[in-house]
Amino acid sequence: MARGDSAAFDAVYEQIASSVFGVVKRVIRDPAQSEEVTQDVLLDIWQDASKFDAERGSAVAWVMTLAHRRAVDRVRSVQKEAERERRVARDDIPYDEVAEAVESSLERERVRRCLGSLTELQRESVTLAYYGGYTYGQVAGLLGVPTGTIKTRMRDALIRLRDCLGVAS
Amino acid sequence: MDAISEEDRARFERHLARCAECAQEIASLREATARLATATAQTPPPGLKERVMAAAATTRQRSPVTADVPARSAWVRDARIRTRAWLRSLAWRGRLVVAAAAMATVAVLGAAVVFGVSNGTMRQQLSQAQASSQQAAAVLTARDATMMARTVRGGGTATIVMSHSMHALVFTAAGLHALPASRAYEVWLIGSSGDRLVGMFPQARDHMVGPVIASGLRSGDHLALTVEPAGGTSRPTSPMMLDLVL
Repeated sequence: MARGDSAAFDAVYEQIASSVFGVVKRVIRDPAQSEEVTQDVLLDIWQDASKFDAERGSAVAWVMTLAHRRAVDRVRSVQKEAERERRVARDDIPYDEVAEAVESSLERERVRRCLGSLTELQRESVTLAYYGGYTYGQVAGLLGVPTGTIKTRMRDALIRLRDCLGVAS
Repeated sequence: MDAISEEDRARFERHLARCAECAQEIASLREATARLATATAQTPPPGLKERVMAAAATTRQRSPVTADVPARSAWVRDARIRTRAWLRSLAWRGRLVVAAAAMATVAVLGAAVVFGVSNGTMRQQLSQAQASSQQAAAVLTARDATMMARTVRGGGTATIVMSHSMHALVFTAAGLHALPASRAYEVWLIGSSGDRLVGMFPQARDHMVGPVIASGLRSGDHLALTVEPAGGTSRPTSPMMLDLVL
């Protein structure tokens, strides 16, 4: 493998590793498993970089989609529902982590503000589904609302988040 | 959101392949959910990087194609080139985003310390600096961002990332000659509506200029770099070391 590639990958690691680890740990919770999944995700990115299709979105979105999916898959396949820690923070992104680079703390503040602009049901649905890794059905059960309602609310919520975060559509 | 079960996911993806409009909506929502992820960033455990880099060094990159033997080698080659280009652009953009954010904030904090600026003003300036670094980040990560590199006359390389949809670009130059204290580098936008100063850089720190954002681009605008008297000028007065039609 050309040396240029590993140098590039080194810099890619610096840019995305904390985001990948952050979201994986947020979903999986267990530090050791989170580290394992993070390592798998980063290696997959290395191996499959050629599958990235710029027509379909930004590189960061591609990476985060992959990371989140792997985390959710891990949670669903390995951990039994009963073992899972049920405490999913519903209203907030935790602040207990080490100070981040300027960019990510600004980003965090912005995401937090945009989440705050959602209705309570929208916010709870998004938080449980995205950060908790629950399915529509499970979110509906936890919140005591029909699945159809959850699906519509979640779509509305994502559209609102997209607009609030200024993502080009 | 990955909130659907495995079977539903497969069905959903088959549907997406046929529905361009849905795919478009999903892509934009995916960008939004990616932001939910980046907002949770936290420092990975020590040692992870070494393990990942070591594993990558012994792992071959996968090519996207397996069939059709004659076409294969070209495909593999193209894929490698794409991969490399993608990794480079991601790496490069990442460095720039961080540099832009850090520089803007450090500059304001530095100024605040030196001049003992009052709290309110400082806060206002900080939020301006943050806004500009966010703007730079937005340009660098825009879906239609294109990167151009040009040689600067007299030495150095300019790198420009431009987003047509945002009518904005981020400019940096490296490897520039150091200037005497009486001179400064100036970056300009030159167009039908006149010349606009994008940024002035009295000292090219580490022979670098920027990152600086130029917004409100119009088609036909030129981007130029000149050396001017340190006090600044209202329009370019010296030969252009770089003249790029946008």
